Amino acid sequence: MERFLYTAMGGALHTLTAQRIHANNLANAGTTGFRADLEQVAAYQVQGPGFASNVLAQEQDPTTDFTPGHLETTGRDLDVAIRGAGFLSVQAANGKEAYTRAGNLQVDADGQLLADGRPVLGVGGPIQVPDYQSITLGQDGTVSVVPVGGNATLQLGQLKLVNPAIQGLAKGEDGLFHLKAGGQAPQDPNVVLEPGHLEASNVNAVDEMVNTLSLSRTFEVQIRMMKTADELSAAGSRLVRGA
Amino acid sequence: MQAALWVAKTGLAAQDAKMATISNNLANVNTTGFKRDRVAFEDLFYQVERQPGAQQDQQNQLPSGVQVGNGVRIVGTQKVFTEGGFENTGQDLDLAIVGRGFFQIELPSGETAYTRNGQFNRNSEGLMVNSDGLPLVPQIQIPENALAVSIGTDGTVTAQIAGDAQPQELGQITTVNFTNPAGLEAMGGNLFKQTAASGQPQEGVPGTEALGSLKQQTLEGSNVSVVEEMVNMIATQRAYEMNAKVVSSTDQMLKFINQSV
Repeated sequence: MERFLYTAMGGALHTLTAQRIHANNLANAGTTGFRADLEQVAAYQVQGPGFASNVLAQEQDPTTDFTPGHLETTGRDLDVAIRGAGFLSVQAANGKEAYTRAGNLQVDADGQLLADGRPVLGVGGPIQVPDYQSITLGQDGTVSVVPVGGNATLQLGQLKLVNPAIQGLAKGEDGLFHLKAGGQAPQDPNVVLEPGHLEASNVNAVDEMVNTLSLSRTFEVQIRMMKTADELSAAGSRLVRGA
Repeated sequence: MQAALWVAKTGLAAQDAKMATISNNLANVNTTGFKRDRVAFEDLFYQVERQPGAQQDQQNQLPSGVQVGNGVRIVGTQKVFTEGGFENTGQDLDLAIVGRGFFQIELPSGETAYTRNGQFNRNSEGLMVNSDGLPLVPQIQIPENALAVSIGTDGTVTAQIAGDAQPQELGQITTVNFTNPAGLEAMGGNLFKQTAASGQPQEGVPGTEALGSLKQQTLEGSNVSVVEEMVNMIATQRAYEMNAKVVSSTDQMLKFINQSV
């Protein structure tokens, strides 16, 4: 069998995965605070005796593009975007701390502050919001309300804003970011919130589309190689048969 | 079959839903007391194709795994409760709430619904009813011989009766507030229903507590911003087209396999 048939097959399979990653990016072109994934492939040489000609393409975990998306003004009190680097801390389903850029916050009927249904963490844990007349989120993440009855401002706490090194961050299965090494990032006083704004997805739709088209051609080349491998071995068979 | 097809399909479905919301917002650009909807998207769960740290062969471990996303899902639509513009109408029974709060409307089933639309009329029995003929709660009855009705900022309703020097007090309009208005369920007809997400209604006198005060002879317009919706529409349409392009390009790949192998 032609070994390069397998090399081509590996390449075709990788192209399919990459296509899927770009389709996912494009599907999330309108998702608040989304961060695009970039596929990664490494050349991997098959070890063993004989001529070192067998190099396969190996999928690596996609990396994430952390470029900030643009800010959209919404005017809603509970919308926050982060200017520049940094993350909001939320409690993931497994109870651990995770990080997100999606600042579309809500207060549920029990007065809990949520981001996409997950409790938002303050410096001292989740934030409880009493019945309020108006709510204000400050640039440093301070949450304050004018309670029912008015005349006074009540500080409820400060959102835990973090800015860990992005090399140490990974996207989890729930789409939230967490530290690869585990543990929690410390609060960073330099992260700036923009209340009344939401951050758009950082997916560059044109890039993604061009990638999709180019992958589709790459795929055709790989299939063509498989076809060539087939022709080679057919030629070999013919020689042996003496036809 | 190809996963990219399904992923792109979720993108198409999401943009489609967003377009439906935009068109509904634009359709209600002149609806009194209408609050625009906003669609919230979230990325779907990621699938682990290979665990990080798995054995590559006898000696080597994989440095990293492979996990790929499954597309996008619609978390929900939210009503955005910003205030619309106020317009003066000169009608005695037109009311606007300046600030937070909702009028209470009694449904035919006896349940209470909530609205920001303060366009009231008198029915044949003299009751204050909304445009669909549903009575305001608490009920306000306006006598036949009333010349003019005035409604104070705190919801006190008085009427000038023909042949009477003193105005007669007819009742008191109360409004309600919710901890999470975005959690209300829109029923259509400008009405909202309370849900587990919105919390219990807290009734009070307009202008006190967190409740906004009433303005007579004024109506609150829709809070839809036409320009914003138009821009959203363009962006949504293009995103839709691009997702469709992924579908067709994936289809080309499959076609190529079929034809050449």
